[in-house]
Amino acid sequence: MTVETSPEANTIHFPGGIPGFPHLTRFALVEIVENGAFQLLQSLEDEDVAMVVCVPWLFFPDYAPNLSDEDQEALGLERPEDAVVFCPVTIEPESDLVHLNLLGPFVVHRKTLIGRQVVLADSDYPLRATVDPGAA
Amino acid sequence: MLILTRREGESIRIGHDVVITVMEIRGNQVRIGVEAPRSVQVHRAEVYDQVVEQNRAAVSTLDRAAEILRTQVPTKET
Repeated sequence: MTVETSPEANTIHFPGGIPGFPHLTRFALVEIVENGAFQLLQSLEDEDVAMVVCVPWLFFPDYAPNLSDEDQEALGLERPEDAVVFCPVTIEPESDLVHLNLLGPFVVHRKTLIGRQVVLADSDYPLRATVDPGAA
Repeated sequence: MLILTRREGESIRIGHDVVITVMEIRGNQVRIGVEAPRSVQVHRAEVYDQVVEQNRAAVSTLDRAAEILRTQVPTKET
């Protein structure tokens, strides 16, 4: 593994890529509006790959993703507070409904900035949870 | 596709460090054990495929999402 320094200090590394984009491993979180609930997860290797993401607890205060031992170990997570969690956001065509993917959140270690998209297979969390973006 | 016949308790090794074991066969269900390095994520294929599809949808609806969410100007809790 290479350790990158200063100019890339805010780069999030997904060592195995992310589902659908397995070849992309370096991303940055970019604000859409200042202090907004929604941010942009932008690939640093392919400018055409970016998605809106959102911290789930702004809309779902009781959300409790239970990470597998494998995921915790792979990310080196020893304490829950070391994890940064955000969910992919999709827009339903035509209706413009805003959905959060609660089944497959991104989990990033706050200090190492190493992350992976986990799949909470044994949970009942939906792939598309509808939110009212004005209600955050 | 490589097709192998295995009995209960028998395994398949993939590469150096992935082992798939048939744990139990009951009716039309098979319990499978997977040993893999932590760096290898193991998913049920249909669930993984849904996450792939949702990620692609998130990328393809980005412009509309940014447009909608920019106008909402929601504020993060402090």
